[in-house]
Amino acid sequence: MKRIGLALLVGLTAAASAQAAPRADYATLPSPLAPLSPAPPLGGGASASSEGFRHRIAATTRVDVSLDPTGAPFALAATQQLDVGVLGDYFFTIGAPVLDVEAAPGSASTPGLRASSILWTGFNPGHRTLIARITLNTTAAASLPLRIEVAPGRVTLVNTTAVVAGSYTADALVPPLLSYLAQLRRQIARGQSPTSGAAYVTSKPTATRLRVVAPLHVTGTVGGHHVDAIVEGRLVVRGRGPVRLTVTPASLDRLLSAPTAGRTGRQLLERVERAALTLARVRQYETFLGNPDPTGPSRTAYVYRSATPPAPIPTAIVAPKERDWATTIAVAAGLLLAAAGALFAWSKS
Amino acid sequence: MRRLILVAVGLLLLLTGCGGTSAPSARTALTIVVNAPFSRSPYLGRTIENGARLAAGEVNANGIRINGRTYDLRVTTMDTALSPARAVANMRRAVGQHAVAVVDEGTGIDAAWRIANGDGMPVGVVFEGGRQIIDPVTRPDVFRIAPSDHGIAFRLAEYLVPKGLKLALLHDDSDYGAAGERALTSAFSQNRSAVAIDETLPADALDFGPQVLRARRAHATGLLVWGRPATIAAVLTAARSAGWNVPVFTPPAGSDPFVRQQLADHPRWVDGLTFAGGRLTAEIGTAPFLTFQQKYESAFGVDRVGVTTSAGHPVIVPPESAMYAYDFVNLIAAALLRAASTGPAKVTTALNEVTTEGANGDQRAFNRHNHEGVVDDDIYFARFHDMIYAPVKDDPLSATLPTLPQTR
Repeated sequence: MKRIGLALLVGLTAAASAQAAPRADYATLPSPLAPLSPAPPLGGGASASSEGFRHRIAATTRVDVSLDPTGAPFALAATQQLDVGVLGDYFFTIGAPVLDVEAAPGSASTPGLRASSILWTGFNPGHRTLIARITLNTTAAASLPLRIEVAPGRVTLVNTTAVVAGSYTADALVPPLLSYLAQLRRQIARGQSPTSGAAYVTSKPTATRLRVVAPLHVTGTVGGHHVDAIVEGRLVVRGRGPVRLTVTPASLDRLLSAPTAGRTGRQLLERVERAALTLARVRQYETFLGNPDPTGPSRTAYVYRSATPPAPIPTAIVAPKERDWATTIAVAAGLLLAAAGALFAWSKS
Repeated sequence: MRRLILVAVGLLLLLTGCGGTSAPSARTALTIVVNAPFSRSPYLGRTIENGARLAAGEVNANGIRINGRTYDLRVTTMDTALSPARAVANMRRAVGQHAVAVVDEGTGIDAAWRIANGDGMPVGVVFEGGRQIIDPVTRPDVFRIAPSDHGIAFRLAEYLVPKGLKLALLHDDSDYGAAGERALTSAFSQNRSAVAIDETLPADALDFGPQVLRARRAHATGLLVWGRPATIAAVLTAARSAGWNVPVFTPPAGSDPFVRQQLADHPRWVDGLTFAGGRLTAEIGTAPFLTFQQKYESAFGVDRVGVTTSAGHPVIVPPESAMYAYDFVNLIAAALLRAASTGPAKVTTALNEVTTEGANGDQRAFNRHNHEGVVDDDIYFARFHDMIYAPVKDDPLSATLPTLPQTR
């Protein structure tokens, strides 16, 4: 009897607290995985033909960008290493505006070339390393994360990853948002793919737009100046000389670990949405070339170097062989005179 | 009168119904030539032809729609009789007939490709494995769906060297054996210590007793025989009749029905024979290949080896070369669609850009750098027991493959 009474009391308390809590509607948060623009990854990304199982693949890419004296890219190449786990056949397509491809040292296989992709086919005995050296069309420069502008006495680094993404604002319950933020932090710390989350909103959501930028960690030198900075907008480096910079998408620890105490549900919702969208944007630049394993880890480093563009092949100027009218008439007249002379001489002989 | 009107209306309705779909006869035929040794190797020629016909029949069910016109594939055959001169003459005829592609066994291809290339016509080699046959730069029109000699030799070296065997490399003086010798020399160049003796055998000899004895005296602990099926059968006979139970390894020729037919009186001599070949099944299992085999047998009947297992079950041959021809014709159909043209040169270019699912469930594809439809990784090993073979378990790829039913 005592037990029944206790159960009733607990039930009544729960019902009362549920009545006291504001009515909350389930609303999905922006995906931390869905790309916010068509590229990167280039060429629609990568794919693996399905034969009933999925390979686990870690992709590491280095993009070499050759800069002319104004800072404009004139040549692009990428070296992509795929560390493939899971025994079995593989057939991977890596989309890209590719001009040529070859196997790099250490590759267990040779990549194939198609008009807008490279192909990897073969059998993986358990672990296989595939490394391709790819010459890219310079059209791919439009998807680079950093633009470099060289002017007399200064070099400006411009983060070009900004994009405006659709979002919403509303009052929301705080605990689920904090829990999702903690989940994202854990997943990023463990190198796992982030998963999508949801919010419980207590007011009508209003559509809004968020400007999202992938922060870039830039290290290297501009002339004699050492650079080590997080670039989210523009960075002006005073100096001149060759550019040697390595750019990687920056860690999002700062965004995910910022203090949350005292924030309202509305403010926290905006923070979480921005975090998810920024993760999605960073993920795009970590996969400049696609990874055939959509949930596999991908890392990309962009290496910008000043270089000398190849001299354009001189165009041979060939003088036209056509004669002008005056020359033609003169030649014809000369021939006629010669013929007449010869005829006269023959008639007298 | 009423009846007459009813009959007339009925006839009109019938005629209207007939006009709804494009009848096959309204389609334009595109010729695919099968250039194979029908008179000298009838089994091989016929299985290649059947594979091409099976694919063409399936493609023709819907036809190939290009620029508002529907095309059918029509397969015609030409016999090379294993003669390079005839193979070249056939290629001229194929070009003269404005064929859209040639499915070729490979004889004489080193000369014939130029004739096809003049017209830009794609040639798919589905048997010969010589390394020089495929070169996307100098021979952009030549493609292959069959294991290459280079791949076979390297996979054999990869499989056998770690076993610590001292191998006798025996190759006959046929074109096939000579190509094998070149491939084996290259594959074992880094592991000469694994080679006990290297011998060329006369392809037309009946008894290889002396050569096998020399191999035994050279302390060989394994025989790697690269030659025609008759050579392989004769080497097995020489070794086993001398009581030498040495392991024997071969290229795909070891699985040729002729070897088992020759040794039908001594089935135990075949036991343990291990050959390298292109895999017939994919990770997803036997289903795709068995479906293909069922369609093949429904259309053309079962290819029997002519021997039985110890339990008396007749042994059959899985249609391997037919599978390669089938896949090539399907790739041609895909290339026609991609090119949106029947111009042979455009089809050749498009072949570098298309992928189809092969009869064994694997992806079949070429690209601008590689015209090999069977990659080296797809070469597996199988061992005979009781006249049928099963993938070996001591090779990573082979261990993943199921055994195909080979009796009826």
